[in-house]
Amino acid sequence: MSSLEKRALLALWSMCPVYCVYFVIQIGLPYLQPTMLERIGCLAVVASIHAMAYVVGLLVIKRHEAGEPLLEDERDRAIDGRATRTAYFVMLTGLIVVGMVMPFNNNGWKLVNSALLFIVLAETVRYALILIGYRSPRLAH
Amino acid sequence: MSNEVKLLRFLAQDMTQAELGKRVGLTRQTIAAIEQGRYSPSLDVAFRIAHVFGKGIDDVFHWQPGGDDRSAD
Repeated sequence: MSSLEKRALLALWSMCPVYCVYFVIQIGLPYLQPTMLERIGCLAVVASIHAMAYVVGLLVIKRHEAGEPLLEDERDRAIDGRATRTAYFVMLTGLIVVGMVMPFNNNGWKLVNSALLFIVLAETVRYALILIGYRSPRLAH
Repeated sequence: MSNEVKLLRFLAQDMTQAELGKRVGLTRQTIAAIEQGRYSPSLDVAFRIAHVFGKGIDDVFHWQPGGDDRSAD
């Protein structure tokens, strides 16, 4: 498994479960009437768990890769470039929805959570496409 | 596009994928993908691989018209 593939898998595993839990909580939160501080605390906890899981995983990967002479080459860059181009359009869609459409009808935490959702979606698409890229039958440079 | 990289490695005193990768600036995984026909390298890398084995590029890589190659771009 290449370095980029390992990092993509780590990013998906560290990000998706915690943000799934976060968005499920956000759906239920309006019924709980949380304060601003509780909302910020919830986001901080989720972001911290994500960061810790990613950093620990990254340290483990770096330790295993210590003797590798080369970690990335033209194939990795081609796969990464293709995945990033697709994820860019997800992010662009999110920007239009959150920044140009939603402000007419929504405000506050709805905008914050929608922006966060599109960031997580774009990242998920990118990492998923990287993993698919390594398993696709043919990829020309 | 097919290639003779695996055969040429074997003929070059059983050169490992990692060793070939190191000499041409690719990872071992990419050399494996090239051998299995899952990745078509850039022209520059194709020339470098051919150079390592002391062959011409068309002795190492073969292209058939009507193949199912598709670009990453």
